[in-house]
Amino acid sequence: MALVTATIVFLIAMFLIVYSWPAIAFNGFGILTHLEWNLGNQYANGVVHRGGFTGAPGASFGAVVFIAGTIISSAFAMAIATPLAILVAIAMHYQVPRRLKTPVNTLVELMAGVPSVVYGLWGIGVLVPWISSSVGPFLAAHISWLSIIGGGSASGNGLLATSFILAVMVFPIMAATMRDVLSTFPKIVFEGAIGLGATPWQAVTTMVLPAIRTQMFAAAMLALGRALGETMAVLMVCGSALNQLPQNIFAPINTIAAVIVSQLDSALTDPTGMAERSLAELALILFVITLSVNLIARLIMRGGDRVKRTA
Amino acid sequence: MKPLRIIFGLLAFSIATTAAAFAAAELLETGSSLVYPLMNLWVPVYTKAHGDVKITTQSTGSGTGISQAVAGVAQIGASDAYMSDAQLGTTHMLNIPLAISAQQINYNVPGLNDVHLNLSGPVLAGIYDGSIHFWDDAKIKAINGSVGSKLPHEAIIPIHRSDGSGDTFIFTQYLSFSTPSWKGGPGYGTTVNWPAVQNAVGANGNPGMVQACQGAKYSIAYIGVSFLDQTNQAGLGYAALQNASGKFVLPTEPNIVAGAAAKDKETPKDERISLIFAPGANAYPIINYEYEIVNPKQKDAATASEVKNFLSWAITGGQGKTFLEKVHFIALPPSIVSLSKAQIAEIGS
Amino acid sequence: MNEVTMSGSSVETAAARSMTRGSVLVTIRRNIGWGISALALCSALAILLAIFWFVLSRGLPALKPTLFTTVTSGISGGLENAILGTLMLVVFAVIIVSIIGFGTGIWLSSYASEKPRALVRLLTDVLAGVPSVVVGYFGYILLVKIAGWQFSLAGGAIALTIIMLPYVVRGTDLALEAVPRELREGGFALGATYTTVLMTVSWPYALPSVLTMLLLATGIALGETAPLIYTAGWSNYLPTAHLTHSPVPYLTYVIWTFISQPFAESHALAYAAAALLMLMIVVTNVFARSWLENLARKQRGEH
Repeated sequence: MALVTATIVFLIAMFLIVYSWPAIAFNGFGILTHLEWNLGNQYANGVVHRGGFTGAPGASFGAVVFIAGTIISSAFAMAIATPLAILVAIAMHYQVPRRLKTPVNTLVELMAGVPSVVYGLWGIGVLVPWISSSVGPFLAAHISWLSIIGGGSASGNGLLATSFILAVMVFPIMAATMRDVLSTFPKIVFEGAIGLGATPWQAVTTMVLPAIRTQMFAAAMLALGRALGETMAVLMVCGSALNQLPQNIFAPINTIAAVIVSQLDSALTDPTGMAERSLAELALILFVITLSVNLIARLIMRGGDRVKRTA
Repeated sequence: MKPLRIIFGLLAFSIATTAAAFAAAELLETGSSLVYPLMNLWVPVYTKAHGDVKITTQSTGSGTGISQAVAGVAQIGASDAYMSDAQLGTTHMLNIPLAISAQQINYNVPGLNDVHLNLSGPVLAGIYDGSIHFWDDAKIKAINGSVGSKLPHEAIIPIHRSDGSGDTFIFTQYLSFSTPSWKGGPGYGTTVNWPAVQNAVGANGNPGMVQACQGAKYSIAYIGVSFLDQTNQAGLGYAALQNASGKFVLPTEPNIVAGAAAKDKETPKDERISLIFAPGANAYPIINYEYEIVNPKQKDAATASEVKNFLSWAITGGQGKTFLEKVHFIALPPSIVSLSKAQIAEIGS
Repeated sequence: MNEVTMSGSSVETAAARSMTRGSVLVTIRRNIGWGISALALCSALAILLAIFWFVLSRGLPALKPTLFTTVTSGISGGLENAILGTLMLVVFAVIIVSIIGFGTGIWLSSYASEKPRALVRLLTDVLAGVPSVVVGYFGYILLVKIAGWQFSLAGGAIALTIIMLPYVVRGTDLALEAVPRELREGGFALGATYTTVLMTVSWPYALPSVLTMLLLATGIALGETAPLIYTAGWSNYLPTAHLTHSPVPYLTYVIWTFISQPFAESHALAYAAAALLMLMIVVTNVFARSWLENLARKQRGEH
């Protein structure tokens, strides 16, 4: 059965590599350094040749905007959601009275079940207007010297809205999993710490949490995956920046997942097919990013383990 | 788990038995989101009258419409743009216009939303490529006479479509046809290489454009005419655009009809022609045919005849006011109807 | 953060010191952590309620009994086809993902040797990061075009399975790992084989957690749009029971597409679909959760 799972992942990876091969040859390393994403003139006659493959005249695919947007928005989202999830998991397990436990657990799990389109609709309907009419002006009036937050917002579509929505979307995965892990964790560790004189809060933070570090990490990795790959909700609130990097937290951004959806339809009209292949290459880049982030995070965790053991 | 399994088993069984009745043909129409509202007005009426055919409509985008029609996954592909020579390549696909739609330029300038500002292709190109930065720029003032003095000194926020869109196609065609620098630069397409303008925002879908324009003061957006009621409700203003004859015209029905009539005689047999920036004193410059991309070789005779019947109805019975008025489209001129009829006749198996 | 060394004397000294300093400050310091966590929980629930309110206030007016008996037609209509389609797709996907996911999770926690285990865990986490649109397009090329299935129930279910898989695999993996060692060792001490212990001791204990994750994954799958647009397509008519060559309607399509239409009736239908979908998730979660709590209490003795 594990073979099936591994096979699926390999199949997807293979599909992406094979499908985007012409684009890889056409774009070279430029895709990682160029800001400009240009499908070229699909209505002109004639093609341009590069790397042994053809593209529409003027085509130049640069993914810097999308890579930056994906990484920054996911990083912000995880920075907001992870501590929040830990705190909420603690609250759910230790503070909520027994009778309310079931409803509260259900409610938090419900958050994971809200369709991403609905998050997007709530984003455009409530969050974005709030950012542009309240948050932006408020920060601009009080912290205008720090241009990165005080720069003022145009429309609310941008980095802040995207990070917030992503945080709200990935938070329940982590909170529900962590609460579940806490509930199966042997009580004796907590009680033992209390017995030694720790306050309940100290017992939780210094004895219980470190012991379930690996499970918390696993939940966080799944959540990060969702953040990196989230499509619909991001598409609706990110502002779809093209050819420019964000200057402050209110500026429009774009993520790889969102740009694939928004550009896919136009890419299909490219007679050379290079646009479609370049989108597949973007997906491949995201695949590599997810892989790298996962590997780096695992290395950090293992490094942390080594330090703990020698201390 | 057991009781649940039984319930679902019964559900599946009941579905299977109720699906026993088969239709003569099942058609899939997919593609342009601009024509989708009109399709959704047409199909229920048509299938009610012709109970033996099942038509499913989908809004997926012009590019998807074309590619799925070519691939045979869909029988009718809706597209706001005709297929270019390069796209047609060696395939032979029919591009059949079914209606004429238009597009307005909306803006949100507090105090001026009930006034129709005059805008031209070069000015819009300047706004969208960043060379015109403020609302009270000299170039905008120059074409707005007395209203020009009321224009505020605020940065313009240009809003474009983030998804591949026929609206982007016709808007950028207007810019290309009227402004050489835009033609040589971003050019036209369902998505273009939008120049990096600070605070330029991409919105998803026409409703996204309406919402973004409404939410951002001093913004400007291009929105399909089927959303004119929405933009009016949202309190957005719309512009009078300069046409090829130099006049500034509003997107009213007579002006759209004038624009279509101007290109009437030039429309070739395969009906692939742009109606943008048509000549004529009253011609509204941003109008286009809504195309159905159909493969003349359908998979079997039954499907082919159902496709032909539906399309024939669309260009005759479907041109009624009850349908078109709800989306502010206009009917095909009679000469175009005959050209479309001729193309529909080519559909076979 | 308070550093607590576990040597008795310094703790007692610290306790003595803090008691003489004034109990109000002490109480605040002790409880500030709890205060923040309670606040976090309340904020999270507040956001959830805000979203619920947003959808229900717009969707409830459009929720009428006829929604369940008419199909989506034209610019509004009903949701009968979409509801049935969603149910069929999700049920089918849950069945497939349970088989593959449980199997993989069990193998990961109980049978795998170190290197393959690390590899498969890594692959699973990476799978979670694949955008839903890429899964959909992958399904489109592989299943709709190459395999020739056209838009199909099987294609949609497979796409949903791929989306759900990382959560089910990791959930099973984590749940089995969390089974207390003493329980398993008790089984071995009684002479049971590895597999027997797994099936009779570990699996029942882990089941509530496994099912929690499955429920979470199902919630995510119910809310997906992009993978289904390219594999299940859409149909204005009731879904047939055919596995292939027959497009399947689903609620998220209605939300995504009808919200973009210029008609108020379409918007109402879109919000109604959203409200219905969320009610479905609520009902499933409520029933499954109370059933799960009972299960946990039985399997684990106390909860």
